[in-house]
Amino acid sequence: MADVLALIDANNFYASCEQAFDPALIGRPVVVLSNNDGCVVSRSSEARQLGIGMGKPYFQIAGQLASHGVVVRSSNYALYGDMSQRLMSSLEPFVAELEVYSIDEAFARLPRPRHGDLSAWAAELRSRIRHNLGLPIAIGLAPSKVLAKLANRVAKGDRRHAGVFDLGREADPDPWLEQTPVEDIWGVGQRLGRWCRLRGIANARQLRDMASGELRAKAGVVGLRLQLELQGVSCLPLEDGPTAKRETCVSRSFSRAITDAGELRQAVASYVVRAAEKLRRQGQRSGRLTVFARTSPFSPGLYSQAASAALPLASNDTAVLLQAALPLVALIHRPHKRFVKAGVLLQELQGQDELQQHLLAPLPAEEQKRREALMQHIDQLNRRYGSSTVQWAACGLRPSWMMRREQLSRAATTRLSDLPTAWAR
Amino acid sequence: MSLLLIGALRSQRLPLRLPLAASTVAAGFPSPADDYIDVGIDLNEALIRHPSSTFFLRVSGDSMIEAGIQHGDLLVVDRCLEARPGQIVVAVLDGAFTLKRLVRHRGRLRLEAANSAYPPLELHQCGDVQIWGVAIHVIHSLGRHG
Repeated sequence: MADVLALIDANNFYASCEQAFDPALIGRPVVVLSNNDGCVVSRSSEARQLGIGMGKPYFQIAGQLASHGVVVRSSNYALYGDMSQRLMSSLEPFVAELEVYSIDEAFARLPRPRHGDLSAWAAELRSRIRHNLGLPIAIGLAPSKVLAKLANRVAKGDRRHAGVFDLGREADPDPWLEQTPVEDIWGVGQRLGRWCRLRGIANARQLRDMASGELRAKAGVVGLRLQLELQGVSCLPLEDGPTAKRETCVSRSFSRAITDAGELRQAVASYVVRAAEKLRRQGQRSGRLTVFARTSPFSPGLYSQAASAALPLASNDTAVLLQAALPLVALIHRPHKRFVKAGVLLQELQGQDELQQHLLAPLPAEEQKRREALMQHIDQLNRRYGSSTVQWAACGLRPSWMMRREQLSRAATTRLSDLPTAWAR
Repeated sequence: MSLLLIGALRSQRLPLRLPLAASTVAAGFPSPADDYIDVGIDLNEALIRHPSSTFFLRVSGDSMIEAGIQHGDLLVVDRCLEARPGQIVVAVLDGAFTLKRLVRHRGRLRLEAANSAYPPLELHQCGDVQIWGVAIHVIHSLGRHG
């Protein structure tokens, strides 16, 4: 029989991770806040049942959360990243091929057994992941990736499916496609969604059946593929592992608005430090760097500015990148503007090995080697003893604009000093 | 007591890499030692069979002292194992991770401490107990050194 495509994802991944390592949270409503404790990005099923909305700004609902006894947590990326890797490697033995699509979801390919029924397979996978990692997952099965994603939505949306829905076993898939709004189809962006609505196409079934010539004129071959996928013809292959990134971005909102040029410099410096670490981890160097900052989109007179500089030689040396980035801050800073967010974008990335000795190399080869060794040591110290153990002076000491993460749980799976306690009492 | 040297410890956590000279070289004179080059010992590999379901916990308290588990020890817990009587397990009790031995006593399962000062817990008497994982190793540091 033909292969099946699956979209497997963790339910309420962040909140579930929090519950997995703090037994006091089991059965209690938990919400996780975005960067800077801004808004709700994950809700445990208990919090969902209380009617707490996704994406709600924390300051608006803090009272409601407190009165319901909801446990609030800041985003703990060390924990979620580690649990994500554990989840993905636990899925691998169950499928023929796996594409990690995001921190909490993966596409997979597997053969459909002769009798056609994958419910035993799905039940086994769900109970394994629940038992080994404490995470609830949902599984959508279908002949194509777009339909697998749609089936996953059905699996999660309706309790009767118990977290699994196999669209490929439905005699008539149309009702399921009809209940999926066109904007919720994987691959339909805002613009295509609006265009469809204007033509009276409101759901997946209508998009599947519309005249392909019209869709092609609007969205080209991408639109045609989408339509074929909706018809159950698989034309989007699984990607083998992450493709080398072409750019990398680090940006954050501040805990309060910044007007001072010195503070903005410190903020940008600390993002450059993060971004450089990321590059070294990915074994890449950057040839161009862009610094950007903006004021709040919610207050009048939005100001948003970016400045960019090419590096004479691609680099992942924090000092070199700082040297290029800091003068750009002066270019985008304006007095009296209240900046709420800034970031740095590293572009023209290339592999570490691609770099050839350059006539214009700013440093002699010997010096270059020592600098690389220094970066390695700094990275190792920060990995071992916690980030910012070795800090760059340009980032400032204990800056007050730093991200708010007031309710951060511990790095329970990645740091020896943060391990959960097993009570022997 | 006699001790047996089992090999050198790899100092850093590196992905397993074969030494460059491990295979036979086609030309020249291969070193006769090439076939015997080993990569050292990786404790992760030696102690952990299921890396993705294995977690570390820190022990607090003395109720497992007679099982050789002391306050402050590092506990290695594998969640993918099914708990069997006789094994030391991490159970979720009253919202906390609790370390006990799972024991079958007169046909019933119970959780016992390894310290006579602590009474056993009959599983059928305490409502909602979940076995979180099975302890597979304990790492005890022999005081301050280095």
